[in-house]
Amino acid sequence: MVFTTDSTFAESVPAPAAPPKTIKLPPREWIKQNLFSTPFNSVLTVLFGALIFAAWRGLLSFTFSHERSWDAVATNLRLMFTAAYPQEQFIRIWVCIGFILGLAAITVGAYAVASRVRVHFLAERTMVFGGVIGVSGLLAPFSTSATVWYIVIGFGLLLPGIAARTQIDEEATLPLMGLLGIAFALPVLSLWVIPYGHHALLDGELIAEPGTVARSSSGPWTVVLIISYALYLLVAKVMNPSAQARLKRAVVGIWLVSPLFLVFIILRDPAFDYDHIASVQVPLFLAYAILGGALLYWLTKPGVGEIGRIVAATVLLAAIGTFLFSAFGFGGMRQIVRILALALAAFALLAPTFSGEQAARRRYVRVWVITVLGLVWFVTAANSPSTVATLSDWFPGGFSVTLMVATFTLILSFPLGVVLALARTSKMPIFRVMSTFYIEIVRGVPFITVLVFFAIMVPLFLPSNMEISQIAAVVVAYSLFSAAYMAENVRGGLQSIQAGQHEAAEALGMTGTQKTVFIVLPQALRASIPPLVGQTIGTFKETSLLAIIGVFDFLFVARTLIPTQTFFLGSLKEGLLVVCLTYWFFTYNMSKASQRLEQRLGVGER
Amino acid sequence: MTETAGNPVRDLSQAADMIMCDGVSKWFGDFQALDGITATIKEQEVVVVLGPSGSGKSTWIRCINKLEHHQEGQIVVDGVELTNDLRNIEMIRSEVGMVFQQFNLFPHLTVMDNITLAPIWVRKKPRSDAEDMARALLERVGIPEQAEKFPGQMSGGQQQRVAIARALAMEPKVMLFDEPTSALDPEMIKEVLDVMKELARSGMTMMVVTHEMGFAREVADRIIFMEEGQIVEVGTPEHFFTNPTEDRTKLFLSQIL
Repeated sequence: MVFTTDSTFAESVPAPAAPPKTIKLPPREWIKQNLFSTPFNSVLTVLFGALIFAAWRGLLSFTFSHERSWDAVATNLRLMFTAAYPQEQFIRIWVCIGFILGLAAITVGAYAVASRVRVHFLAERTMVFGGVIGVSGLLAPFSTSATVWYIVIGFGLLLPGIAARTQIDEEATLPLMGLLGIAFALPVLSLWVIPYGHHALLDGELIAEPGTVARSSSGPWTVVLIISYALYLLVAKVMNPSAQARLKRAVVGIWLVSPLFLVFIILRDPAFDYDHIASVQVPLFLAYAILGGALLYWLTKPGVGEIGRIVAATVLLAAIGTFLFSAFGFGGMRQIVRILALALAAFALLAPTFSGEQAARRRYVRVWVITVLGLVWFVTAANSPSTVATLSDWFPGGFSVTLMVATFTLILSFPLGVVLALARTSKMPIFRVMSTFYIEIVRGVPFITVLVFFAIMVPLFLPSNMEISQIAAVVVAYSLFSAAYMAENVRGGLQSIQAGQHEAAEALGMTGTQKTVFIVLPQALRASIPPLVGQTIGTFKETSLLAIIGVFDFLFVARTLIPTQTFFLGSLKEGLLVVCLTYWFFTYNMSKASQRLEQRLGVGER
Repeated sequence: MTETAGNPVRDLSQAADMIMCDGVSKWFGDFQALDGITATIKEQEVVVVLGPSGSGKSTWIRCINKLEHHQEGQIVVDGVELTNDLRNIEMIRSEVGMVFQQFNLFPHLTVMDNITLAPIWVRKKPRSDAEDMARALLERVGIPEQAEKFPGQMSGGQQQRVAIARALAMEPKVMLFDEPTSALDPEMIKEVLDVMKELARSGMTMMVVTHEMGFAREVADRIIFMEEGQIVEVGTPEHFFTNPTEDRTKLFLSQIL
């Protein structure tokens, strides 16, 4: 998270042409012009200033009141974030955190090597931060010595900030990466030094002792920090530019695929049966990769013409046939064979769109091979027994389940939503009617109904030999529901494309698919970023509804579990505040990220 | 501007037919936009279509690459009749370049990508060839240095020249221009017309809907005058501007000249 939040103020250097400097007013002039320009505005300023003051004071006296028992949260942090995940398996979670931060470091290294931050920007933030700390010290119900400490720290930040703001040249900059490294390293180092206190519930015993946090927390964070920084240095300093460029393209794909693999590491760690894999999965993969690849290489040849269309349609029919005619001797067929046949049909039908020179054809085949590999791995992994000992189906819980459900819902519902939107705007009545029907049904049903249906009813309807874990059912429910709303957002984007764009693409002889892929969708998705992000944030927060079907989600832990623990009877408010702030932190960063994405893609400047 | 005397009349009677329209009619609801249009455009010929607004000029030119569907009559482009067969339409469209009044560049792509997209994916050209060609075309329309810009960063005249380059990149046999200068500021009209004149001289078959009388007089081999969905008068610029036969043509000329 460090990387996404802090790069807000990143400025790419060298800038192509310096924009004209905005004239900075001296503070007194600025206050006069912006806060007290008219008598009415002065009244408003005073009124709202008082309001902010009162709210801030209220929050502080709530937080630092003697009635608060923050031990309740500190002791239960593990419960709030990972619920009943077996403690001896925590190394898996650290591996995932390390992977994500390492990938983030590689991404930053490949993309933002030259970014720099203006010293003035930092100085202003430091001044504001120091000021807030100082004022908070005065407002909060502290003892005298604590108040003095707060004021000293506040001034300790304010004064260097002012000094830097006035003494250092406006154009001066610092490297972003050094600052990010420090911003990440300081909290991690503080784990070793500052006595945050050590809290734990061990076998019903409450351990609450002063001193630094347990080494089982500070150790892994330090290792992760060192690995991330080493990866960054490797990418940014050691690698040559052409390798960096290749890496840039690869990281986007890795980001998209990695959640799937990470969840498997955390939840299952499948125990592969290697003999079986060698005798069944590997030949299957090779057959589809080689034969399918050869077929696609031929189909993408320019001018393959009518025969290509016939072959692609035949593959589609055969694929559908494997699903339909299980009664006629195909019953023993492996599901993966059918899934791959369907995927091959999709690739074959799209082949004319992506046909072209040899390099383009090889790329298409490469994408196919990777798709086959991913599908075979996924199905094999899902079918292998898990090695992670679990207490129940619901051992993931707390904030981790929020993150997991939200991430998967986003990944699954986005493509589905785009397909639904395209179908709804399609010229083919059958697609239009089906899509409209689906969207209107879903939008007409309360989400809780869908959730309960999928969590409780769907497992009952499944054939007896087929099992679906409750979390998978829930993710499907969230995805199907969210997709309908996403479809409406994307449809708005599709409709905002001017007729001229369609005409220009058609006049160049593009096929319908080419027009959609290259011209319409990129623009439509760009235009629908704000509502799509709103929908994503909504889904993220709606995960708290999981409590209804008995999942120990983040909110549920804070609201119901902690206040019933013997040691912390009735400590409700502390947990709720932490939950609020955590949700806020994530949603705020999501909307910040989307704003940057919009700027990058230039939504406003057409 | 030395050619004020008009375009020297070329003998195109031996040239092959490029576009052949026979009794083309089209209705928008009850309103008849085209009423039995019959005309033939020869290879290398430059035809300018004139007429008051609402006379069906744009509708006609848009029928020729099937952006509008005609309901009666026959349109044959380069020997292929326009039917409702999709592959037929796509083939004809890739042979016929079109330049729009509103440019219709793709705003999310750079100038280079705007020009190379269709050659790469429709014509299946190798990317390097397509890019070489795009650079040559940008040189030809006079903006070689703008390849990496986005359309939103350019002036209207530059955008229209990119649009012409984009259409030329498909190596079309015919170019259709649908009021290419009507959305431009006056000082940018000339730069676009100069490109079109150069194109006409290079032997491109062109059909131009425009209100630029100077261009029509200077470049056109033939002028077709339309009103209320019908062709009223056809003739050389010489004939059309100095000695029109039809009353409606005279009225039109008296209003604009």
